Amino acid sequence: MTDVRAPEAGPSPAAGQDDRQAAPAGTGRPAGRAYGIADWLKWGWRQLTSMRIALVLLFLLALGTVPGSMLPQEGADPAGVQQYYTSHPALAPLLNHLGLFNVFAAPWFAAIYLLLFASLVGCVVPRTFRLAGSARTLPPRAPRHLTRLPHSAEYGTALPPDQAVEVAAAVLSGHGFRLRRCDAPADGWVSAEKGYLREVGNLLFHLALLGVLVSVALGGLFGYKTDRLLVQGDTFADTASALDEIHLGRLATDADLAPFTITLNHFSASYITSGSQRGQPLSYDAQISYTAHPGGPARTDNLEVNHPLSVDAAKVYLIGHGYAPVFRVTDARGQVVYDAPTPFIAASSGSSGNLLSEGVVKVPDAQPDQLGFSGVFVPTAIDVGGTLESAFPAADYPAVSLIAYAGNLGMDSGPPQSVYALDTAGMRRLTADPQSLLPGQSLKLPGGQGTITFTGYVPWVSLAITHDPGQVPALACGIAALGGLLLSFMVRRRRVFVRARPGGPGSTVQVGGLARTDASGGFEAEFASLAAELRSAHDRAVHAQHEEE
Amino acid sequence: MFRTKRRTVALVAAVSTGALLLVVLLAGWATSGSRSVADIDGNPNAVLYAVGHRPTAPGFTATTLTGSRLSLSSYRGRVVVLNFWGSWCVPCREEAPALAVAAQQYQPAGVAFVGVDVRDTTASAEAFVRSFGITYPSVTDASSQITLDFTAVVPIAGTPTTLVIDRTGHIAGAVFGTVTYEELTTILNRVDGKAAAG
Repeated sequence: MTDVRAPEAGPSPAAGQDDRQAAPAGTGRPAGRAYGIADWLKWGWRQLTSMRIALVLLFLLALGTVPGSMLPQEGADPAGVQQYYTSHPALAPLLNHLGLFNVFAAPWFAAIYLLLFASLVGCVVPRTFRLAGSARTLPPRAPRHLTRLPHSAEYGTALPPDQAVEVAAAVLSGHGFRLRRCDAPADGWVSAEKGYLREVGNLLFHLALLGVLVSVALGGLFGYKTDRLLVQGDTFADTASALDEIHLGRLATDADLAPFTITLNHFSASYITSGSQRGQPLSYDAQISYTAHPGGPARTDNLEVNHPLSVDAAKVYLIGHGYAPVFRVTDARGQVVYDAPTPFIAASSGSSGNLLSEGVVKVPDAQPDQLGFSGVFVPTAIDVGGTLESAFPAADYPAVSLIAYAGNLGMDSGPPQSVYALDTAGMRRLTADPQSLLPGQSLKLPGGQGTITFTGYVPWVSLAITHDPGQVPALACGIAALGGLLLSFMVRRRRVFVRARPGGPGSTVQVGGLARTDASGGFEAEFASLAAELRSAHDRAVHAQHEEE
Repeated sequence: MFRTKRRTVALVAAVSTGALLLVVLLAGWATSGSRSVADIDGNPNAVLYAVGHRPTAPGFTATTLTGSRLSLSSYRGRVVVLNFWGSWCVPCREEAPALAVAAQQYQPAGVAFVGVDVRDTTASAEAFVRSFGITYPSVTDASSQITLDFTAVVPIAGTPTTLVIDRTGHIAGAVFGTVTYEELTTILNRVDGKAAAG
């Protein structure tokens, strides 16, 4: 990478020197004059577009992403940020002030990003002009003494010098060299140059790097990521009020959400049943039906891990699953006030908890008192010293354990609540110990407050819906950058000269070769084979002449 | 001559970079649209749409909480208050008493009230309706399909949302978030002269 920009490091050293020489001559001012603002700006621009600063910026950009992966981020893990605040009350506000909980939106990150962008543009644009210029410039004239070049060969041929040069030119041209012929045939030389692709590759690399930056910016500005928990049998339309979490890019709005509708028809999971891996998931399969837009045809699909659904530029990923026990609650007046599957969330991530899940049931319209339950669902229940534990993640022997509350849920005014948390500040506990229920069993609440029945369970899945318009361009640019890098490493800029002077029966042919950049070596072999080919071409030409005679 | 050319190139590069940065920065706050809508009492989430700029309300036919079918189109010729709510939603519970009172006052004058019960279950929704003494019908929108259709014409960002639809089926006013009695009556009084009979 260091090598790529080094040969002609932007406008900085070369152009700088030119300017310094030009200024006194052009303006007539003394060389030792004080620097004005314009000079400082020019100096700053040169520094910015220098290879060294670009590398420093690239390094800083990489360094800047480190806190993004070490600390919880607002966008991806708001709960983690809250947790960090409670566990590090002194440090967290400071980190927040530095934008470390939202690194990719922090001003300092944007500054690095934009400076790197400017640096790359400042480097690429002048280079492009220079490449265009060099592509139009002819190779230099052949030096007088080719044997002094790093690679050279000399041999005699029966052809006269002008014919020998003609034959050599044909061979070199056949190898894709650009030629420069001598002005008068009597001079007897031809210059050839090849390897412009090196600079093309170099430029491609820089442009592609710019493209990657632009693509990432596109994704950040116009992309979005949303989440939705979907219970089996339920349908949701992809609109803001139907989503659980929405993270929009800077320039994205709710209106950019793709207007599809998804129904979870069936979800199944299979697990390893024996051995040390027991309980590890084998496969998930979410059978869905969907319409891409309102009124569109209904289609079906199977969502699996790493097999997202592509719909209308958005991708729908299956990112989690769990159980939603179904509860029916009757209040003190005998009215059914709740009858719904209630998603419970796995208490520990991974498979260690065997999907022991926690959740709450809120019944704000129970009369006369509001009712609330906090509970645990276990798919395969075992009793470990009086507490309910899960032995296996599949629902082989499901059970719930509930603690009941009555009073004020705090839902009739105040801030919005999480559906997974119960605010028990205004409630009194109705049951001293958690009460376990099997499917079909009911718990009668003390004091005639009502009844809760655990009627069954259904699975749920959590879906992540993402749209990243920069993803494909970023990939394409990444591939182009790699291609450009390979080109610039593998292609050598090299020149070959051929001179023919009268000598012996015809002429003496001198071949000289020069590789301008030969970091990886290999020109020696190419030159040797080229020289041999020139020689045999000359021999063939002599034979052909003899046969004609 | 070569030197001047090189300097021009550097200048072009610098200027184009600067222009690019400017575009990126400007794009950040170039998002405000035209003003054919007016805020109510300085609340940017409560708006009145000017006649001629009223979005057409999408139609729907859906099942009510009590199991009958309800079509929005059957209300054509009447002013309709369409309230998106859910029994689980704290601001919906907060605004429910105001809606119940407004319905009692304006229904006799011909204003229709219709609820759209979002992401809810029938048992919970019926319990809510009983708790707050809601007398008007609500259709179930567990899948948010109706909400999605309306989101195409007005920026519904969440529940609750209250829309007032005029006699020609156009949305005359909207409150995104908790609606107050004052906001609702302000919109109703300005939909047209005849609706303000409460």
